[in-house]
Amino acid sequence: MKNKPENKPIMTDINDVQTYMEKKVGVGTSFDVGFREIILLKQKVQLYYLTGLCDTAIIVELLKKLTAINDEESNKTELPAIIKNRLVHQQVEKVDKFNDAITQLLSGLIVIFIDGQELAYVVDVRSYPGRSPKEPDTEKVVRGARDGYTENIIENTGLTRRRVRDERLRNEIIQVGQRSKTDICISYIQDIADDGLIKTIKKELKKIDIDGLAMADKTIEEYLVKQGVNPFPLVRYTERPDVAAVHLFEGHVLIMVDTSPSMIITPTTFFHHVQHAEEYRQSPTVGTFIRWIRFVGILASIFLLPFWFILAVEPRLLPEALQFIGPNEVGNIPLIVQLILADVGIEFLRMAAIHTPTPLSTAMGLIAAVLIGQIAIDVGLFSAEVILYVAISAIGSFATPSYELSVANKISRVFLLIAAAIFGVKGLLISFSLYIILLARTKSLNTPYLWPFLPFNGKALLQILFRFSVPMSKQRPSIVHPKNNYKQS
Amino acid sequence: MESKQKLEQNKQEQSTSVISKALFIGFFGGVFWSFIGWGASYFSFSSISPASFIIRSWLNQSWTDGWLAEVISIFLIGILSLIVAIAYYLFLRKLRGIWPSALFGLALWGIVFYVLLPVFPNIAEVTELTSDTIVTTVCLFLLYGIFIGYSISYEYLDSVTKKNV
Repeated sequence: MKNKPENKPIMTDINDVQTYMEKKVGVGTSFDVGFREIILLKQKVQLYYLTGLCDTAIIVELLKKLTAINDEESNKTELPAIIKNRLVHQQVEKVDKFNDAITQLLSGLIVIFIDGQELAYVVDVRSYPGRSPKEPDTEKVVRGARDGYTENIIENTGLTRRRVRDERLRNEIIQVGQRSKTDICISYIQDIADDGLIKTIKKELKKIDIDGLAMADKTIEEYLVKQGVNPFPLVRYTERPDVAAVHLFEGHVLIMVDTSPSMIITPTTFFHHVQHAEEYRQSPTVGTFIRWIRFVGILASIFLLPFWFILAVEPRLLPEALQFIGPNEVGNIPLIVQLILADVGIEFLRMAAIHTPTPLSTAMGLIAAVLIGQIAIDVGLFSAEVILYVAISAIGSFATPSYELSVANKISRVFLLIAAAIFGVKGLLISFSLYIILLARTKSLNTPYLWPFLPFNGKALLQILFRFSVPMSKQRPSIVHPKNNYKQS
Repeated sequence: MESKQKLEQNKQEQSTSVISKALFIGFFGGVFWSFIGWGASYFSFSSISPASFIIRSWLNQSWTDGWLAEVISIFLIGILSLIVAIAYYLFLRKLRGIWPSALFGLALWGIVFYVLLPVFPNIAEVTELTSDTIVTTVCLFLLYGIFIGYSISYEYLDSVTKKNV
């Protein structure tokens, strides 16, 4: 892994080239490496390409132009220059090292070797299999742009550029992975983004020495943020170009990885995960309303179950107005076991829904909701209240915009619940404090995770509690340390 | 010489803005965490509510059991919390991380419950409080301490080095 293969210059004799290519790239063995030899002015010219990644129409056009040389030209000594002239394409490059040529070949470009020359021409005839931009499933909005990032990094930079026509937008590309040679693009606006952050990210990316990045963005994230056992998402993902552009303008640095439609937004705090593009598609009041309802949902998904549990097992805690809370009859199994079982049941359902084909999922929902829920009460397994509260907290976690955050919250909920079951009120309070402290200690790329709540920043917290109208929010968030604080004058 | 003076000027400006931020942090922290404390006492996690300190210790009328007394006390705690914030700013702002501020919160609890409590006749001694009450108040003071301390030291460090803690 460590010792890189030597970078040989291209040989003069085309037969040597052919043997080298057969040995090295497996021409003739791998069926997707195409090879074509033509004779131009009595000299051998060889074309190598990948059948899966090239656009046939362009190759045919190039071949037509090349073979016409035999009819129209006669100056043998000028052959390389003639060939270069006849490669009718805007992206033609000359290489003289084998490894460069091979990397290009395996990226889907066509490589042309000429007998007797220590060089090769590389033409960009790539056409990657892929889909067209489509609205991402996880970030739907009622109105607004319906395009989303795809698996193609070039298209993705294009989608960003459509929204940021600033000459100061930088898309720096680097290749990571000895075998996969995955393209990674770091995007930022030069005179806004924090240099220190860009430097840190580049440093971390350059340190990666791995054979392949098959899981693209996720692998990169794990190298960047050093997650450890912390379940909380330390970067925010988006598949929406408009969300990405907003963050670029705010001074965030985006990382896009080829073969993944998810952009990584850095730096991220907890509160980046509770926002959604939909809030900015509605009037500020409606946006704020949506946001508050969502906050209630998220809080319910963490604290409702443990809190209800403690009130149910210790009715002395209840104030008079709330005496009706808590199960009326003692069930057949302990309350904590009921809660954990019901929660696990919902988790079954959620996990199954991810990979169940749509026709089956209707049947699955029916069985789960109607049959299990009601029957579990009828046979005396669960009490009705358990089902109610577990369902509310499950819906709360579905209302969390970030899928990663909702799962992390679910884990914290189970911990709070178990602590409350073992140590009662004290367990609940101590685990609650630990929850806050652990979140406050977490840092993502040197950014405190609970900012702007802890460390407290009043202005920024207001921006999170209320969705302000765009003309009113003039400053960029201070947490990204922008070089230029004002979005508008 | 001139450029140096300019820098000094900047510094002056920075530190005043950090003080005003610290004051706001103090007020908000006091209000927020005493509000949580009210919630905890409403659900009988703790027998001590904000009002039992601030108002009931010197006023013994029936309205002091109502919500109005609690709201007034929460506001007053916000004001008192300014003093805490100033104290932290003056003596401890240079400490990094959240552990010093956690200790600060615990120390604050100690002062309030061992030094100040005996002064108020209506609240029982620490030894007579239920363990739930003690745990609840310790947790609240801990989180309050972290809130005040970590925020102030972060603001301070941010203004000095423009670098995160």
